[in-house]
Amino acid sequence: MNATLAAVLALLGLTLVKATPLIYAALGGVVSERSGVINIGLEGILVAGAFTSVVVSGATGNPILGALAGVVAGMALAAVLAFAATRLGVDQIVAGAGLNIAALAAAAFGLVLVYHQPGASHEVPALGNTGERVLIVLAFVAAAALQFVLTRTPWGLRVRACGEDPSAAEAAGINALQTRFWAVVIGGAIASLGGVYLSLAELDLYSDGMTAGRGFIALAAIIFGRWTPLGATGAALFFGFFAALQYSLQRAGVPSELMQALPYLAALVALAGFAGRVRAPASDGVPYVRP
Amino acid sequence: MSRRRVAALALALVWFAAVPAGCARQRAAGGAVRIGMVTDTGGLGDRSFNDSAYAGLMRAQRELHVDTVALQSRSAADYQVNLTVLANKEYDEIFAIGFLMARDVAEVSERYPTRHFSIIDAVVDEPNVTSVTFKEEQGSFLAGALAAMTTKTKTIAFLGGIDIPLLRKFEAGYAAGARQVDPSVKVISKYIGSFDDVASGKELAGVQFDQGADIIYVAAGKGGLGAIDQVKSRPNAYLIGVDADQDGIVPGKILTSMVKRVDVGVFRVCQQAAAHKPRPVHLTLGLKEGGVGLTDFRYTRSVVTPPKIAALAKLRAAIIAGKIVVPSTREELASFKPVPL
Repeated sequence: MNATLAAVLALLGLTLVKATPLIYAALGGVVSERSGVINIGLEGILVAGAFTSVVVSGATGNPILGALAGVVAGMALAAVLAFAATRLGVDQIVAGAGLNIAALAAAAFGLVLVYHQPGASHEVPALGNTGERVLIVLAFVAAAALQFVLTRTPWGLRVRACGEDPSAAEAAGINALQTRFWAVVIGGAIASLGGVYLSLAELDLYSDGMTAGRGFIALAAIIFGRWTPLGATGAALFFGFFAALQYSLQRAGVPSELMQALPYLAALVALAGFAGRVRAPASDGVPYVRP
Repeated sequence: MSRRRVAALALALVWFAAVPAGCARQRAAGGAVRIGMVTDTGGLGDRSFNDSAYAGLMRAQRELHVDTVALQSRSAADYQVNLTVLANKEYDEIFAIGFLMARDVAEVSERYPTRHFSIIDAVVDEPNVTSVTFKEEQGSFLAGALAAMTTKTKTIAFLGGIDIPLLRKFEAGYAAGARQVDPSVKVISKYIGSFDDVASGKELAGVQFDQGADIIYVAAGKGGLGAIDQVKSRPNAYLIGVDADQDGIVPGKILTSMVKRVDVGVFRVCQQAAAHKPRPVHLTLGLKEGGVGLTDFRYTRSVVTPPKIAALAKLRAAIIAGKIVVPSTREELASFKPVPL
């Protein structure tokens, strides 16, 4: 009985660990998309947060400073997307994909510049177990806060208005371009914490490709969570749970690929059940150009 | 200037800027045999696979007085380009480091039938290609035997990157070695599903320790960095490293490393090339050829005691003598029975 309880607790603990970077990335994506800007660049923002925080922590010896720098880097990268999406009116999917490629390549190049070796950084002062726990709790706080802000505050209403119909929002006196810009940048700040969590809280180094597609899983969590902060958080927990579960279930005789596909199979089944009820913001991904 | 011209010019500029930057060129006396190498995306400085190959190439330059060049690949798209560059420049021997390049080697070797190529860790069936492979299962067998002799919990683990035949050789040999020493030892095998996902490597290693394992054999690329991070916080637990000698990364926590001497493979092909002799179609390096093996336990002598070292030597001799045939697939592992010695 005690062994079973311990196993269940370990599973739930691992679920939180797996879900946390997804929650941050998905929350960042939700803010951005509710304002009408699709953020395919979440993966790149994770990379920016993970890489920058490690470099700054290594250089200053202060992991908290590193984490802050990671957030600033995530905001800067998101600002590029925000500028392209609001001022240049470009295809947001293309801009976001470009962001991913640029961030991954810049980090790979940065490793050689800073550490004179490709592949991985040195180990740097990290946030440790306490920092990891703080970031896990903060993810849920952020989800609740964001839910409140989006549904209960004037700014949240403006963001949602821009995501549904920016022309109508502008007619009502809202600066749609500015609102979208800041929604994307704030989303970048939140998403970058997912990267900081991976490199500086769970681990103490940056390694090429360490985000391993979590930014894309977060995109799925956004849709699965119906573009709401709490929904996306639930979806991230759902993915995290099945990812943790497949770790314990992997054993001889069962193809490990099948087990690794478990979270996504579960998501497909769940999404099929919700089919038809999922609706994106009406102007999500549609560039707004002032007439 | 038409737009297409501008594009072509830009491409040419990028080409000239990029190619010399990717070279680590060393020239010996004129008229020497020319040997080229193309790294995989891990690149020089990986402290593992590519660096080991490069060490073999450098030894060939020192001892055999050949001209050498190493081109690094930044993405999979570079493989074919780099191989073609070397083939065009009349290199006598061209090495492709890693199974990821198998298809590119097959294509380029067909286009350049007068050049000779060698590929590490893959079998390419072309008349002008030498396939250099290793009997990883033999070295892994010794790793598994040592783990089974050392475990206190009667449970050991294998952590792989992606579930592919190459890694199953490690897994099967390891499990067989453990079974040879103590059939009651349980082996927990798990795969990350990636060679890059450091965090998942740490989490999976944690799950394996939680499930009772006290030694994990890690063949997971950069995922291994995560396992190393995990073992630091676990008392009385060890890892076994792979490919390169990783014992010094966390002294005392890495029981040993299953070293794969890619440098030995590269050097042996270079010897043939330097002497203008035909290269073998298939070069397979196991314990006997010094292609695989364990390290010298310099940080873990307190656990790896002389009787264990003697037992390992006996097993090693039995494998070399052919008395033990080490399984290299899961099917062979299923039918493997401990061999009385």
